[in-house]
Amino acid sequence: MKYADVVIVGGGPAGLAAAVRLYDMGIRDILILEREHSLGGILRQCIHDGFGLTRFGVSLSGPEYASRFIREVEKRQIPYITDTTVIEITRDKLVTAAGEAGLLQVQAKAVILTMGCRERTRGALAIPGTRPAGVMTAGVAQAYINLQNRMIGKEVVILGSGDIGMIMARRLTLEGAHVIAVFEVMSVASGLPRNIEQCLNDYGIPLYLSHTVTDIRGTDRLESVVISQVDDHMQPIPGTEKEYKCDTLILSVGLIPENELTIGAGAALDDHTKGALVDEFYQTEVPGIFAAGNVLHVHDLVDFVSMEAETLAEGAAAYVREGSLPACPVPVTAGDNVGHALPQKVSGERDFLLSLRPRRPLENVTLKVTQGEKAILTRKLKKVLPAEMIQLKIKKEKLSGEGSINVSIS
Amino acid sequence: MQREFTCIVCPNGCRITADYEKKEDGSLVIQSVEGQTCRRGEEYVRQELTDPRRTIATSVAVRAGEMPLASVRLTAPVPKKDIFRVMEAIRGITLEAPVKEGTVILSKVLGYDADLIVTRSVDKA
Amino acid sequence: MIYDAAVIGAGVVGCAVARELSRWDLKILVLEKELDVATGNSSRNTGMLHAGFTYKTGSLKAECAVEGNREFDKVAAELSIPFRRTGKLVVGFTDHDRENILKFKENGERNGVEGIRMLETRAEIEAIEPYAGGNFAMYVPSSGILDPMQYTIALAENASKNGAAFCFGAGVTAIDRQEEEDLYILHTGRGDFSSRWVINCAGAFSPMISAMLGYPEYYQKGFKGEYYVLDKKAGKYLSIPVYPAPNDKGGFATHATPTVDGNILVGPDSYLTEGREDYANRKDRLDGLFRDGSTMFHQMKRDYFIRNFAGIRWKNCDEKTGEVLDFILEADPQKPHTVNLVGIESPGVTCALPLARRAVQKITERQKAEGSPLSQNVSFDPCRKVLRRFSEMTMEERQKAIEKNPDYGQIVCRCENVSRAEILEAIHNPLGVHTLTGIKNRTRSMMGRCNGGYCQTRITKMLEEELGLAPEDIRYQRENGVIFTGKVRGEA
Repeated sequence: MKYADVVIVGGGPAGLAAAVRLYDMGIRDILILEREHSLGGILRQCIHDGFGLTRFGVSLSGPEYASRFIREVEKRQIPYITDTTVIEITRDKLVTAAGEAGLLQVQAKAVILTMGCRERTRGALAIPGTRPAGVMTAGVAQAYINLQNRMIGKEVVILGSGDIGMIMARRLTLEGAHVIAVFEVMSVASGLPRNIEQCLNDYGIPLYLSHTVTDIRGTDRLESVVISQVDDHMQPIPGTEKEYKCDTLILSVGLIPENELTIGAGAALDDHTKGALVDEFYQTEVPGIFAAGNVLHVHDLVDFVSMEAETLAEGAAAYVREGSLPACPVPVTAGDNVGHALPQKVSGERDFLLSLRPRRPLENVTLKVTQGEKAILTRKLKKVLPAEMIQLKIKKEKLSGEGSINVSIS
Repeated sequence: MQREFTCIVCPNGCRITADYEKKEDGSLVIQSVEGQTCRRGEEYVRQELTDPRRTIATSVAVRAGEMPLASVRLTAPVPKKDIFRVMEAIRGITLEAPVKEGTVILSKVLGYDADLIVTRSVDKA
Repeated sequence: MIYDAAVIGAGVVGCAVARELSRWDLKILVLEKELDVATGNSSRNTGMLHAGFTYKTGSLKAECAVEGNREFDKVAAELSIPFRRTGKLVVGFTDHDRENILKFKENGERNGVEGIRMLETRAEIEAIEPYAGGNFAMYVPSSGILDPMQYTIALAENASKNGAAFCFGAGVTAIDRQEEEDLYILHTGRGDFSSRWVINCAGAFSPMISAMLGYPEYYQKGFKGEYYVLDKKAGKYLSIPVYPAPNDKGGFATHATPTVDGNILVGPDSYLTEGREDYANRKDRLDGLFRDGSTMFHQMKRDYFIRNFAGIRWKNCDEKTGEVLDFILEADPQKPHTVNLVGIESPGVTCALPLARRAVQKITERQKAEGSPLSQNVSFDPCRKVLRRFSEMTMEERQKAIEKNPDYGQIVCRCENVSRAEILEAIHNPLGVHTLTGIKNRTRSMMGRCNGGYCQTRITKMLEEELGLAPEDIRYQRENGVIFTGKVRGEA
């Protein structure tokens, strides 16, 4: 058995940022465990640019963004092991991983969960129809095209207006495929407006809102999909069916934090984020186990993933030094028009960063953070979108320390 | 005339409205630009009205590498109408491993002030 | 090459027949139209080892189910397949339910099903399964659960090990009889094959093959049923199959069944279909199944959805009355050297080996009667060995396994914890199957909650590398089910 102050599970943008910040705060006994052959996580396949505008002030591709952090890790000689998959984390922070050298067991003082997320699948949505080849998630298509040099189709329909789906619409078009359309079951796009502009509109790819796939046809390779318009309850409207001939259906229908290890460690999850319940230190309900990035809640920008992990590192460093962190008895709740708010509890005695996602698109609204009757923060916003996470700095001076904190949009 | 834009400069995606007039000689006189939350938004709209430009990110083949592809991107946007011409130019390129991140593979692509650079190092297999 | 026996169809029955035939010194060929075994209804079912309490006494269904049930511990051990004798609960609420349940109890006892008993109190039910509903229940201890795909694969691999040849992509399009040579010529998508004996195990297509052999094209009705597969996270809520009381016709409504791998199956519903391979899921049916399933299994949550599938029970029926008839197993000397198995539907998985033995017996008896008795295959080995699954090992066993074989330390599929060692074993399977679903069904990779989002790209790469396949040769499941249309960048 090995010992380490901190074990970081996952060497993607969150894990790497946490490692660098921990090191710079004087915590040196760190081990990053990564299941892939190299560090970088999902950024390795995100070759489009637009990363890093907030964190670095320049527009980088995914691999470049990752390599900035990898270089920092290398420079500090922070230990990491690749090709090694963590298979179990206990409540006592014993981490077990499998690699070619055998099972690796590390007893950590603190564990940082940065496993990222997975894509929602056809099965999870129970999309009807046959099961031919040619139906895959946007991330799988992206890995094939950008990492493995494999082309996955010629006539493409995309279900879901998630960012990766739109990015892949452009990517496929550049590589000679014909993207017929993007269909979104909701009445509003789930990805960022800039991606609708630069990935769809630029290439004349139509986006149909309130439409979904109601049948998949073809026995061997996909032959067509049937698209129906949906009503306000997202139920298909009979008579609106239209068949589109295609050989490929790409799904970009949502991301789900990858929390099997978290559950195994005994940390409770939030029903809305599908990530762990955390306090302002990004500590889960299991003391000494922390989570940040897409494993905690799905972000729209990697810059915020890194920055969240850097904040986490401060809490984790304090935990390693002190053996515990201040109690966080003040609940934070999501009110009107707020899908979820994070952290779910705070100490009430420190500044903290409040992250939230609006439930639906609204214009000219007021965002209110209150504690009991007291207004802590009020902000007028021209527009809010579910696709855009909102982050607010909450100052400790405003907090009274009593009663739950509520955030609402109206 | 009035046109609406979704700014693509940063993830905020501001909705910007521009009022402009088209002169007989084809040139534009922009009267107002509203809705942006930063200076780059206005620049974007002015550019978009006169000469819309985009960057490209894609891959080039790598021979004898640990990976079959190296990702690449343009360092500056090129006119939108030339995107597929640039893709054609990129398609023909094959690099020999090892390939280093940041290496310029094509400078002044199609004569524009944009280079094609490698965005991921690929070691020898 | 002239074969002694050609089995048409590599479903569970065809593979069981091939395996039982391989006990004899015969040149055996299995012809399968798809690219793997068990792609049809053999795998599209609940995976129950039935006890045999629902079938008409004296029927082939009842006789073979009871026989197949009794021997299955030995079969599972021989073939190294996962199997659990869970027992089954049939729960009721009303006096009417009780009447219908008791009818089954009596029928089961007549059929020779052992150990059936009534549980009269909630406490008795909860002692067996706390999450089961019902005020009273019938407990059938001999029912069990298995993975019908693993079972069929195991039968086929064991047959292959004992000398049977498998030819995939070889759908039989016509059969000619050459009387002088006492041979059948089977025309297939992979060319012509000659064989002395032909055994029809064509499942959904058995009436068509039946007609090609000169038997009637038996009338059948297709009872289609759809399923949800739920996440293993829901598995803890159900340890034993719990069925609602049967209706007056003896049919079961939608129910929930644990799988031997720890998932939950919800389904099947039942409706008629005409399409022999109409395996598509339908939106209205899935919606209905979700509603019905939620009343039976309270943990039926969308968050647990892994995937859906459908299967069809092609039942022999009386064309006039519609009455459901028994399995057909016949060998008419007027159609020399043929065995005809038609309408083998539920409980076909349980009955596969007993049916296979009966089919083989017809062949051995006929050979004897003709004065050329068969000799035994002296090197027959009933056992099949497989690598142990990483996911089922203790930490100590894992450590030892990786020390011996480092590929065990590479987790390829994260949801199901499938190692590279297991994937490699599947890629180099003895049947030569190299479809993506073939790897999936052999290893459980891509079967978890991410549906292969993480591992699929790694597995297709391994398939290319290990077998030297071109990208265009990688298929999902069927002949034209290519995954790739080419490369993004050609090599200069």
